[in-house]
Amino acid sequence: MTLYWSREWLLAEQPASRRQARVGQAYRTWLALRTNRMAMVGLTIIALLILMAIFAGVLAPFDPIQGGDLRTERLQPPSWTHLMGTDDLARDIYSRILYGSRITLMVVSLVAVIATPVGLLVGTIAGYFGGWIDNVLMRITDIFLAFPQLVLALAFVAALGPGIENAIIAIAITSWPPYARLARAETLTIRNADHIAAIQLQGASSARIIWGHVVPLCLSSVIVRVTLDMAGIILTAAGLGFLGLGAQPPQPEWGAMIAGGRQFIIDDWWVATMPGIAIFVVSLGFNFLGDGLRDVFDPKVRK
Amino acid sequence: MGMIDITDLAVTFGHGAARVQAVRGISFSVQRGESYGIVGESGSGKSTVLRALVGLAPVTKGTLALDGDTLIGRRSKAFYRRVQMVFQDPYASLHPRQTVDSVLSEPLAIHGFDDREGRVARALDDVGLGLGFRFRYPHQLSGGQRQRVAIARALILEPEVLLLDEPTSALDASIQAEVLNLLDRVRTERGLTYILVSHDLAVVAHMCERLMVMQHGRAVEELSRADLHARVATHEYTRTLLLASEGYRVSDGAAQGAAS
Amino acid sequence: MTPLLEVEDLRVSFPTRHGRTEVVRGVSFSLGRERLAIVGESGSGKSQTGRAILGLTPPPGKATAARLNFEGQDLRNATPKQWRDLRGRRISLVMQDPKFSLNPVMTIGRQLMEAATRTSQTRAEAKDHALAMLEAVQIRDPLRVFKAYPHELSGGMGQRAMIAMMLIPEPDLLIADEPTSALDVTVQIEVLRILDRLVTDRGMGLIFISHDLRLVSSFCDRVLVMYAGKVVEELRASNLAQAQHPYTQGLFNCLPKIEGGIRPLPTLQRDAEWAR
Ligand SMILES: Nc1ncnc2c1ncn2[C@@H]1O[C@H](COP(=O)(O)OP(=O)(O)OP(=O)(O)O)[C@@H](O)[C@H]1O
Ligand SMILES: Nc1ncnc2c1ncn2[C@@H]1O[C@H](COP(=O)(O)OP(=O)(O)OP(=O)(O)O)[C@@H](O)[C@H]1O
Ligand SMILES: [Mg+2]
Ligand SMILES: [Mg+2]
Repeated sequence: MTLYWSREWLLAEQPASRRQARVGQAYRTWLALRTNRMAMVGLTIIALLILMAIFAGVLAPFDPIQGGDLRTERLQPPSWTHLMGTDDLARDIYSRILYGSRITLMVVSLVAVIATPVGLLVGTIAGYFGGWIDNVLMRITDIFLAFPQLVLALAFVAALGPGIENAIIAIAITSWPPYARLARAETLTIRNADHIAAIQLQGASSARIIWGHVVPLCLSSVIVRVTLDMAGIILTAAGLGFLGLGAQPPQPEWGAMIAGGRQFIIDDWWVATMPGIAIFVVSLGFNFLGDGLRDVFDPKVRK
Repeated sequence: MGMIDITDLAVTFGHGAARVQAVRGISFSVQRGESYGIVGESGSGKSTVLRALVGLAPVTKGTLALDGDTLIGRRSKAFYRRVQMVFQDPYASLHPRQTVDSVLSEPLAIHGFDDREGRVARALDDVGLGLGFRFRYPHQLSGGQRQRVAIARALILEPEVLLLDEPTSALDASIQAEVLNLLDRVRTERGLTYILVSHDLAVVAHMCERLMVMQHGRAVEELSRADLHARVATHEYTRTLLLASEGYRVSDGAAQGAAS
Repeated sequence: MTPLLEVEDLRVSFPTRHGRTEVVRGVSFSLGRERLAIVGESGSGKSQTGRAILGLTPPPGKATAARLNFEGQDLRNATPKQWRDLRGRRISLVMQDPKFSLNPVMTIGRQLMEAATRTSQTRAEAKDHALAMLEAVQIRDPLRVFKAYPHELSGGMGQRAMIAMMLIPEPDLLIADEPTSALDVTVQIEVLRILDRLVTDRGMGLIFISHDLRLVSSFCDRVLVMYAGKVVEELRASNLAQAQHPYTQGLFNCLPKIEGGIRPLPTLQRDAEWAR
C-alpha cells in the first residue's frame, strides 16, 4: 500500500488505473494549492476552526452556558483565568467562543451544502436548455437578487420564527441566486462546445449531460465563489444573531454575543470585541482560501 | 435505396432579419460501404448537412433517411448506435476534465454494452494508442492524439456510418497521413460507410469514391474519384478550386492588385 | 536598414515536476518586410515562438532571449504601457484556434468594434471599417456575421473574422498562427492576397505559421523548419522541395495528391537524432 501512495505513483504520467488517475489529479491540485501562501494561511485558519469545534469540550475551561458567581465574576477583564474576560452573566467568553465555533461551522457547512447544489442546478439547467425554462428560472433568480441578502433573510426568519435552524434555512434560501447566475454564465460559454455536441451524439440524456459534463466545468468557479461568500454568510448569520433572530440566548453564537456586549462597549470592551475578532479572523480565512482556489483553478486571472 | 438518402434538404437558422439559409435543397445518396466526400466553399453548409443528419441542426424541408427509414425529430438511441460523428476541432471536441478512459467508457455505459474494459482497450489499440494513454487527460495529448481519441469514441459503439467533419484540417502533414491511413484501414476492415467533409481536394481524392461540390448552400456538381484524378470538372467553381489547389501564385496577388 | 524584427536565442520553458522543460530551444532569425514561414509538426513550438515575441507566453511559462528587437526597440523589458501601444496596433497576432480566441458570449461585431474604435474617429466610421474588413476577407454577408455569435459561424468564417480583427489596426508586423487551416483553397487564396498586398504595398512584416507545405512554398519568401523546439533548417521557400533535412523531406511525402498515389500514405519515421 505504501508503494501505491508514493509520490511517483501519484504523479505518474501514465496512470495505470482509474483510481490512480483520479487521486493523481487531486494530488496535483493540492500541490498547486500548497505553493499558494495566502491559500495555506486561509486553510490553516479553517482547519483550526474545525479543530476548535471538535475539541471545544476539551479546550474550554468553563461551561459556556452556565455562568460563574454573578456577584464576583461578572464582566471581568481578560486575565489568566478568563483569557478573554467574562460577560454580564459571568460566563467565560473564551469558552463561549470555542463552543460558538460549532455554530459557525454548522451554519457555514449547511449553507454550502444546501445553496451550492441548488444554485448549480438552477444555473446549469437554465443555461443548458435556454428558451422559456431559462426565462422562468432566471426571473425567479432576479427576484431573489433584487433584495439585499440580510433583508431577505430577515423576512424569511420573521416568517419562519427565530432560531438558528430557521436562520440557516433563510440564509441558504437567499444565497443560491448568485451561484445560479454564475453557473448559467459558465454554461452559456460551454453549451455550444463540440464536446457537448459529441456526448449528445452518443445518445446521452439531458440529465446525464448536465450532471456529468456541464456541472463539473462550472464547479470550480462556483466553489471559489462559495468560499469567498463564506465570510458574507458568517456575517449574515452574525447579523441575524445580533438582531436577535438567529441563535437564541443562551446559545454562544458569535453575532448574538456581540449584540449582548454592545451595552457595555465603552466600559467593558472585551465582551463585544472578542467575538468580533473571531468573526473577522474566520471570514478572512475563507477569503484567503477562496482567492487561492481561484488562482489554482483559473490560472488565467493570475497575474 | 442507399445507406443514406438525402432528398431536397434545406436548413434554416433563426427568424426574420437574422434568418440564414445554410442549406438550400441538397440531394445525394450514399451506398453501404461507400465513402462520399463533400467539398466546398467555407460557410457553404457542409458541416450543417452532417449536423442535420444527426439532428443537431433544424431541418426545414426535405427528407433524410438511414437505410430506408426516414429520420424525423429527435433521433433515437438506436440511431446513435448506427451513426457516429467526428468533429472538426480536436481541441474542442474532448471534455477537458475527462480522462480518455471516461470518454470511451461513457458511450458504452449509455448503451449498456458488456465487457467495457476489454472494449476500451481494443478501441485504443485500433487507433494506434497504447494502454498508456488510457488515463490521460486531453491536455496531455497532442492534436493528432486527441483526434485519434475522438475517432476511437466514434468507433467504439461499432456504428455503420461515420460522419467526418474535416477530421485532419487541424493536423500537420505527418499526423494527417497517420489519421487518414487509420480511417482507410477501419473502413475496409469493418465495411463502414463514410461521409467526409473537407476543404482539401487531395484528402477527398485520397479517401472518397465520389464527391459533391457545394457552394452557397447548394450542390453545384458531383464528381467521381476518376474525374478528380483527371481534373475534369464542368462547373466554374470546381475548376477554380482545382486550380487553387496548386498553391499560391505570385500572379494571384499581382493580378488582383492591379485590378483593384 | 535595420530589420523589422530581430530574434536571437529565444527560449521558452514550462516548469514540470522534473525541472523546466524547454519547448522552444534557441530560435534565432531576423525579419525584414517580407513573408517568413515557420513550419513544423504539431508540438514543435511554432505557436510558442509566436507568442513569446509578443510577450504572451502563458504563465507559468517563461521566455528568454539574447536579443528581441522590434524596429530597434528592445521588447525583452518593455513596460506594460509599451506593450499596450505595440500589441494590436503595431504587432498583431492571429491566434491558432479562432473558436477558442473569440469570446463565445459576445457578437463578432462588438469584438471587431473594440479594435476599430481605436483607429477611427466616430462609431459609424468604425463600423464601416469593420464591415469593410469582413468583406475583404471574403465574407459573403458581412452585416449578418457582424451581428452573429461565434457559434453561429462556420469554422472558416470564425477564422476569417479573427483575421479581420487583427488587420483592422494595420499593423507593421503580423504574426499569423495557422490563419488559413479551416479555409477552402479559393478563400485561402483571397486571404493570402490581402496579406500579400499588405507586405508588398505597405511593407508589413509577416510571420506565417503553418503546417501546409504546399501553401508555404508558393506563398512565402523564406521558411524556417522547426522540430522539437529548434530550427532544423532555413531555406528559400521556392527551394522547399529540395530540402536537406530528412524531416522536411518526409513531410512532403506524407501529403495525399489529387492525382491519386500510394495507399496507405507514407508516414514519417521519426528519429531521436533530430531532436538533439
Ligand atoms: N447555429 C447557427 N445559427 C445561425 N447560423 C448558423 C448556425 N450554424 C451555422 N450557421 C450558418 O450556416 C452557414 C453554413 O455553416 P457551416 O458550418 O455548415 O459551413 P461549412 O460549409 O462547414 O464551412 P467551413 O468550411 O468554414 O466549416 C454559415 O453561414 C453559418 O454562419
Ligand atoms: N501551458 C503549457 N504548459 C506546458 N506545456 C505547454 C504549454 N503550452 C504548450 N506547451 C508545450 O509546448 C510545446 C510546443 O507547443 P506549441 O503550441 O508551440 O506547438 P505548435 O508547434 O504550435 O503545434 P501545433 O501545430 O499543434 O499548433 C508542446 O509540446 C506543448 O505540449
Ligand atoms: Mg465546417
Ligand atoms: Mg500551434
